[in-house]
Amino acid sequence: MTITKIRVVAFGMIAEKIKTNLLELEYMQDTEVLLGYLYQQYPDLQHTKFSIAINKKMAVGKTAIPVGAEVALLPPFSGG
Amino acid sequence: METKRSPKNIFVQGPISPESIAKSIANHSSKTDIGGHSIFLGQVRADEKEGGKVTAIEYTAYEEMALEKAFEIREAIFAKYPLSCMHIYHSLGEVKAGEICLFVFTSSKHRKAAIDACEELVERIKKEVPVWGKELIDNDGSVWKENV
Repeated sequence: MTITKIRVVAFGMIAEKIKTNLLELEYMQDTEVLLGYLYQQYPDLQHTKFSIAINKKMAVGKTAIPVGAEVALLPPFSGG
Repeated sequence: METKRSPKNIFVQGPISPESIAKSIANHSSKTDIGGHSIFLGQVRADEKEGGKVTAIEYTAYEEMALEKAFEIREAIFAKYPLSCMHIYHSLGEVKAGEICLFVFTSSKHRKAAIDACEELVERIKKEVPVWGKELIDNDGSVWKENV
């Protein structure tokens, strides 16, 4: 069953640091748990500035992750 | 008939050509209630970096979120200013130094609304739309750009 997975997409500098732009992870209830996991797996991220979006909306502070959500790791924007 | 606006594509692969900008201006000649246009063009700068000079910027985006965000900004600016028209184009992929990577175009009956809306659009796009630029350096290195 893959229903309890979350899809994590990464961009820019973050994708470079974790060496992939897509992670399929076991379900995690909120962004705090996810950050704990990411910092442990990829210690480099502890010194990198990035934001989290859940289903394309910016998540500020500890935010619940719905089942089946797409979570995005977004380094500071630099368009234009 | 009620029409609901939906997100439209803002992305252009590679640089935005001056010809397409000229064409976009010409397309407005039939809209004779317009009295003023305001245009912002972002151009890639050949900055000096540690190790060399910037030759190009390679743009990537979280496209679905970027289009949703651009649409949200577009609706907010339309609600705030009396505009006749608004166009936003942003490059993806490689844009060389000296080429255009962002084209924002607003039109209104009188100049003030077009000018103010254009400025606010550019600021909000740079701050809120998930696009990233990687500066490619002439020593084959690269640096992730950060908006200030």
